[in-house]
Amino acid sequence: MKIIPYLMYLFLISFHETILGELTSVGGVAFDMTILIVVLTALYKGEMEALWFGFMAGLVAGAAAPDILPYRVILTVVLSVLANFLSNRINLESIVSRLVILAGMVLINRLVITSLTSTDEIFFVLFRFILPSVLYTSLWGLIFFALKDGIITPQKVKALF
Amino acid sequence: MAWMTAIFARNRRYVNYGIVAILFLLLLVGGGNLRPWSANLCLTLFYYPFSEIRNNIARLNDAAEDNSRLKNSLTEASLQLNALAEARRENQRLREFLGFAPAEGYRVIPVKIISLIQDGYPLAAVVNKGTSDGIEINQAVVNRFGLVGRIKEVMTGHASVQLLTDPSHAVSARIAESRQIGIVRFVPGEGLIFDNLPADADVKAGDVIITSGLGGIYPDGLAVAVVDSVAPPKIDIIKSVWLRPNVNFLSIEELYVLKGGAL
Repeated sequence: MKIIPYLMYLFLISFHETILGELTSVGGVAFDMTILIVVLTALYKGEMEALWFGFMAGLVAGAAAPDILPYRVILTVVLSVLANFLSNRINLESIVSRLVILAGMVLINRLVITSLTSTDEIFFVLFRFILPSVLYTSLWGLIFFALKDGIITPQKVKALF
Repeated sequence: MAWMTAIFARNRRYVNYGIVAILFLLLLVGGGNLRPWSANLCLTLFYYPFSEIRNNIARLNDAAEDNSRLKNSLTEASLQLNALAEARRENQRLREFLGFAPAEGYRVIPVKIISLIQDGYPLAAVVNKGTSDGIEINQAVVNRFGLVGRIKEVMTGHASVQLLTDPSHAVSARIAESRQIGIVRFVPGEGLIFDNLPADADVKAGDVIITSGLGGIYPDGLAVAVVDSVAPPKIDIIKSVWLRPNVNFLSIEELYVLKGGAL
């Protein structure tokens, strides 16, 4: 297992938590970079990679809140392993199936974290922040999948203009 | 040892899950310092560079805001400075227009002439304000062209002004350019003269004569007259200088009494 790419992913998560999240948020809604990277790793890498990267990603993403750090770690590990488990049982050729996995993982992650940290009305948070965040993260996932599958290429982009 | 390696190799998957589970349990129920230590380690390794960048960006933003605010303040200050400079120029023009340059701490009391006493030439004027208005003896009286005289007598509701054209009245004055000091007085038949001027004094037609401030009655700097002509010294000691008063004493109406004290 090559470590350097995973270290880069971890730095990308911390970069998103500190700077990128604010810059890319729309109406106070940020996309879930941690779960996005964790799910992408789980979909395209092996089980052990998913397990350990999920653990480390949970550790890095939860470092800012030590009180809930173990829960974030185990949650990320579970989501990562679950995504990897599902990826072996679905048709990965379909973008929709990958997006469903991604959206489902983001939804579970946000719901659990919200239940651990937020004191606001859950339905308000669900409709105001969680679901928009799921959509926003799925949008980024869609772009990634389209790029990976060659649906979006520089040539096609050039051909548009 | 070999058998252990073989077991790990055969059960690699379960070993990894086991290690992750142990680490999770350590985080969950481990010693009080383990959780903060892990969090601090991650923060130091992964967050510190970006938080520094973020702080620097925030500082740059603050500096940019400060810069913008200071530029605005500078612009406002410049505008105020321009306004003050304009006010100073206006003040100077008005002082010139009024014909006097009252010293700091003087204010003016406007008075109107109700009677003018003449004996071929104006001697004194009676004005409509007196002690009840703050008028006191020996206060200087001016109009917008320059020095008119001084308060000689004062009553409750009116006062008498001894004019510069009273032959018994003398004013210590100086030439504005050369700063030479002399006495301005009115000589019947000759007019206003600048007396007691040394033969070698630097004076010429057109020079401005102002009060010297000596004598304790008039503040310095009040415009009195302009040199009309200069005669050669009579006895090689004193130069005769004829003046053209700034004030036309036959047409004076509104006067201002200079009152000492805070403005």
